[in-house]
Amino acid sequence: MDTLACLEGVGVSLGGSPVLRELDLIVSASEIVGISGPNGSGKTTLIRALATLQATDGGSGTILGKKLGSPAVRCVRPRIGLIGHAPGLISELSLRENLIHISKLAGIDPNRVDHALEVVGLRGASDRRVSAASYGMKRRVEAAHLLLRRPDLLLLDEAMSGLDSNGVDLIRAIVESTVAEGGAAVVVSHDVDHLSRLAQRTLHLEAGKLRAGE
Amino acid sequence: MSFWAQAWEVARTDIRIESRAGEVFKVVTPFAVVALLVFPIALGFQLSVVREIGIGVFWALSILFGMQIALRQSAADSLERRDVQALLGVDPAARFTGRVMSATLLTLGFMGVLLVAMTLLYAPSLPDGWAVGLIVTSALMAVGLAELGTLAGELTAGLRNRANLASLIVAPLAIPLVMGASQSLEALARDESILPWVLLLAASALALAVGGVALARPLEEAAQ
Amino acid sequence: MTRTKILFGLAGIALAYGLWMAFTAPPDALQGEYARIINIHVPSFWLAFLAFFVTAFGSIMWLSRKRQRWDRLANSSAEVGVVFTAIGLVTGMIWGQAVWGIAWDWGDPRMASTAVMFFVYLAYLALRAAIDDPVIRARRSAILGAIAVIQVPLVYYSVNLFRTIHQTQSIRPDGSTLPDEMLVAMLVNVAAFTLLYIALLSARLEVAKAEESAETESVLAGDAVKPPKISEVKDV
Repeated sequence: MDTLACLEGVGVSLGGSPVLRELDLIVSASEIVGISGPNGSGKTTLIRALATLQATDGGSGTILGKKLGSPAVRCVRPRIGLIGHAPGLISELSLRENLIHISKLAGIDPNRVDHALEVVGLRGASDRRVSAASYGMKRRVEAAHLLLRRPDLLLLDEAMSGLDSNGVDLIRAIVESTVAEGGAAVVVSHDVDHLSRLAQRTLHLEAGKLRAGE
Repeated sequence: MSFWAQAWEVARTDIRIESRAGEVFKVVTPFAVVALLVFPIALGFQLSVVREIGIGVFWALSILFGMQIALRQSAADSLERRDVQALLGVDPAARFTGRVMSATLLTLGFMGVLLVAMTLLYAPSLPDGWAVGLIVTSALMAVGLAELGTLAGELTAGLRNRANLASLIVAPLAIPLVMGASQSLEALARDESILPWVLLLAASALALAVGGVALARPLEEAAQ
Repeated sequence: MTRTKILFGLAGIALAYGLWMAFTAPPDALQGEYARIINIHVPSFWLAFLAFFVTAFGSIMWLSRKRQRWDRLANSSAEVGVVFTAIGLVTGMIWGQAVWGIAWDWGDPRMASTAVMFFVYLAYLALRAAIDDPVIRARRSAILGAIAVIQVPLVYYSVNLFRTIHQTQSIRPDGSTLPDEMLVAMLVNVAAFTLLYIALLSARLEVAKAEESAETESVLAGDAVKPPKISEVKDV
C-alpha cells in the first residue's frame, strides 16, 4: 500500500517549548486516521506539520513523496487539503467570489464554482459576504473548496464542530470519496465517538506522542 | 498558473477588497488632508511660510500616510488565509509582487488627492516643468513605499503592536525615497538636473523589489 | 567567562592609554580643546557602522545556514551597536553646539545616516521584542537585517548626494587642522573601542546563550493542561 504521509521521530516546538516529541505516524493510501487528544496536546500542530506548514525540529518525514523541510515539498502542497479551526476566507468578498479567487490562484476553471456551491447547498447564499455569513456557511464554503481542488491528502482539524447534521454528512462524504479514489484523510477531533464512526483506526495524542486509541 | 497571473489575481483581489473596505480613501486620505490643515494652523496662518512649505509637507505626508496604505488592515492576511494560499501553491514572490502592484496603485491615488488638496490649501510656488518631475518622482516613490510597506507588513504579521512596529521599520528606511522625491523638485527650481535624484529613487525601488522577491520565501516561512 | 574577562582587561588597558593620549595631545588650532571629543565621537561612529555590518552579516548567515549562533551574533551586535550609535550622535551634537553653535548639522552625511541607522536598530530590537517564538524571531529579524543592508547604504548615499550639491560646514570634528598627535590618539581610541566592542559582544553572546537555554522549556506543552477535578467544583 502506498504511504502518503510518514513522520519518523518528528518534534515540533512552539515559542520555545516542545509540543510534539519523537512522534511517529504513517498514513497509507485509502486510509482514514482519527486523532484524538485533550486540549493543548498538539493536535493542531500535528495537522499543520502534516500540511507542511509547520517547521519541524528533529526527525524526518515525507509527505506525498517529498521530504519535509525540503524546497520540493512546495510542489505537493496543492495536493493537500486542510480544514482548520477557522476558515481562511476574505471577509470583504462574497462566498462565491472567495471560491473564484481560490480557483484562479490554483489554476482551476472558475466555471466549476457554481456547481460546487450547488453541491454544498449554498447556491442561494452564494452572493452573501463572508462577514455576513454564519460559521456553518463558511465551513460549507471550505467543503466546496475541497470539492474544487480534490486533494489527495485531507487534513481535517475539528472540521465538523459547529456543523449541522447535513454539514457533517457533507464532510463525511468528501472524506469517503477522497479515500475511495486512493487518497487518505487524517481527522482530528476531541470527540472520540465521532472519530470511531469515521476513522478506520484512531490514535490518541498525549505527551507529544501518538499511541493506539482505546 | 503563471507567476504574473497569480500576481495579477492577488492585486485585483486587493483592489476589490479596498473598494469595499474603503480603508485608503475613506480613512487614510481624509486623515492626511486633516494633517494638511494642521500645519498652517500650527504656523499661525502665515501665508508666505505656507506657500513655501507646501510641497515639502506634501512629501512628508505622502511618506507618513502612504506607508499606512501598504500596512492597511484589509491587506493583512490571517494565518488561516496564509495557509490557504500556501496550499494553493501561490508563489510567495508572486504574492509580494501582486501586493506591491495594488499598494502602488492605491498610494498613487492617495498622493493624487493629497496633491490637489495641498495645491488648493497652500497655493505653493511650483518650478517650471514640475508636472513631469512630480509624476516621475511620485510614481517611483509610490513603488518604493509600497515595497517597503509590504515587506514591513509581512515582517510584523500577526504581532500585537503591528501597526506601530511596521511604521517604525518603514520610516527610517524610507529616507532615500523622501529625499529623492523632494530634492527632484528642488533641483528643478534651481535649474539643475533631476537625474541623480530620479536615479536614487529608481535604485531604491529596484533594490527593494529584488530584496522583496528574493526574501519572499523566507518571509512566507517566517509568517507561519 | 575567561575569554570575555581577558577581552575586557585588554580593552580597559587600551582605553586607559587612549584616554591618556587624548588628554595629552596638543589642542587643535581652530577648534581648541573641543577637538578632544573626537576621541569618543569618531570611534563610536566607526563602531556603529561595524556593529551594523556584523548584524547584517549575522542575518544573512542565519538565512543561509539557519544556525541559532548567527541569530545570537546579529542580535548581540545590534544591541551593542545601538549604544555606540547613541554615544556617537550625542558627542557629535555636543561638539556641534560648541563649535558651530548648532547641535545638528544636516550637511554631515554621517550624522544623518547614523541617526537613521539608530532607528533601524531600534526597529530591529523592537521587532525582536514583539516575537516570542525563537525560530520565528530569528527568521523575521534576519530578514529585516537583510533589508536594512540593502537600504542603509542608499540612505548614506542620498545624504552624501545632498551634501555634494549643497555647500555645507567645512570644519569637521576630524578636519585637516588636527595636529598629528591628536590623530594618532584618535586612531588608538578607535582600536581601543573596537576591543571594547569585541568584549561587549562576547559578553552579550554568553548572556544570549543563557537566555536561550532558559527560554527552551523541557516540559511538553500538552502536559500543562490536566483533567479538571469535577468532584471539587462545588468547593471553590
